[in-house]
Amino acid sequence: MTLVPVIDANACSAHGDCEDIAPEIFHLDDIAEVIGTGPDELMRAAAEACPSGAITLLDADTREQVYP
Amino acid sequence: MGTDGVVIAGGGLAAQRCAETLRRAGYEGRIRVLCAEPRAPYDRPPLSKEMLGASPDESAVGFRGQDFYEGRAIELVLDTRATALDPVAQRLRTSAGEELGYEQLVIATGSAPRTLPAFAPYENVSTLRTLEDARRLRELLHAHARLLIVGAGFIGQEVAAAARAAGAPVTVVELEPAPLHGLLGAEIGGWFARLHQEEGVELLLGRTIATIHGGRRVEAVTLDDGRRIEADHVLLGVGVSPDVAWLEGSGLDASGAVPVDERGRTALENVYAAGDAAAFFDPFLGRHAYSGHWESAGRQGAAVAHAIADAPAAPPALSSFWSDQYGTRIQYLGHARLADRVEVDGDPGARDFVALYSRDGMPVAALVVGRPKALPELRERLAHLTERTTA
Repeated sequence: MTLVPVIDANACSAHGDCEDIAPEIFHLDDIAEVIGTGPDELMRAAAEACPSGAITLLDADTREQVYP
Repeated sequence: MGTDGVVIAGGGLAAQRCAETLRRAGYEGRIRVLCAEPRAPYDRPPLSKEMLGASPDESAVGFRGQDFYEGRAIELVLDTRATALDPVAQRLRTSAGEELGYEQLVIATGSAPRTLPAFAPYENVSTLRTLEDARRLRELLHAHARLLIVGAGFIGQEVAAAARAAGAPVTVVELEPAPLHGLLGAEIGGWFARLHQEEGVELLLGRTIATIHGGRRVEAVTLDDGRRIEADHVLLGVGVSPDVAWLEGSGLDASGAVPVDERGRTALENVYAAGDAAAFFDPFLGRHAYSGHWESAGRQGAAVAHAIADAPAAPPALSSFWSDQYGTRIQYLGHARLADRVEVDGDPGARDFVALYSRDGMPVAALVVGRPKALPELRERLAHLTERTTA
């Protein structure tokens, strides 16, 4: 499965944990933004680490929500 | 545009986010950030968490490297604090004896840990606010010093958890009948108490310190019930106070956090405030509210930058915080103090539950323990808290 991360702009508090874990995928600007792609495990780790619970992961093919 | 630009008094999260957001919003004037400590702005939450571990990477707490500030022409004035404000002349006096003119001033001096006068004479008593504080505490914990923590708030609890992880014996004395009792109530406060007790923390609730024994160092204390506790070091975790005494004589009330509107504007022209030094107007509560939490400090720093740069304001956000203890993530959203009822879903004994706080059947807050996946849905259920109320 390939995952696509989506950031909830209202939830993101710009902690930056996602960028610390996966700098190729996330970048902190005003809030976090998705800048690239990477291994599913990294995306999952970033989503789980987000203190604000602002990262949702979708299945790239079906667009179904995989996380949370 | 003049040449004085924006002066940000303070070098914490609110200051950092303000400076960054100003540049991102296209502000081209001068930006100076007065950092009281001799280092660039850094993140404080790790100080009571990762930085108390065995051999943490201290450089990881810095928000940005030197090249970031240079590349954006953000001037860091280190080891310098604001000491007085003249809002008529639009000038700020600093601890370096300088006077800085400003076009816009951002009060972001944060807060300072409260202390207890009875402990003032003793050498082995500290608070936790800076990287230096964390470094000293870390050495003590890993040398298995017997730690006495006064106060079971978040700092007290996180340090207790770090002490246990380091194998240090720790006693926590708390005046209230449970940790976070005032905010989260008796049931959830009781859960926090059991959490620490299960991990080997000696938690003494509803107690005060009657007598301190020792000479230059605290050797032991006696509580109001006569119990005696020996200690090698005492950590005071009894809350913080806004660091705003320097505003005395400025026309702003220097007795507490500076009240500001939803965009961070104070009563003085061209003077803004953000973070722990500020009390933002909360449209839901219909009053100025002091947060003191990380997430609000960041948002407020950005809000001030948007106001100065004449950029649109970000949508209002839910009050929230998080804490990591014994490997369990604890997240909180909303205003639990408003609640008349709390419902627990899950297994508190397994550190896996959601406590939903409601008032008149309407959810007003949630505490999420070990269930980060529950957060997005709860955020939706609590979204009404960000709407303006006429109540």
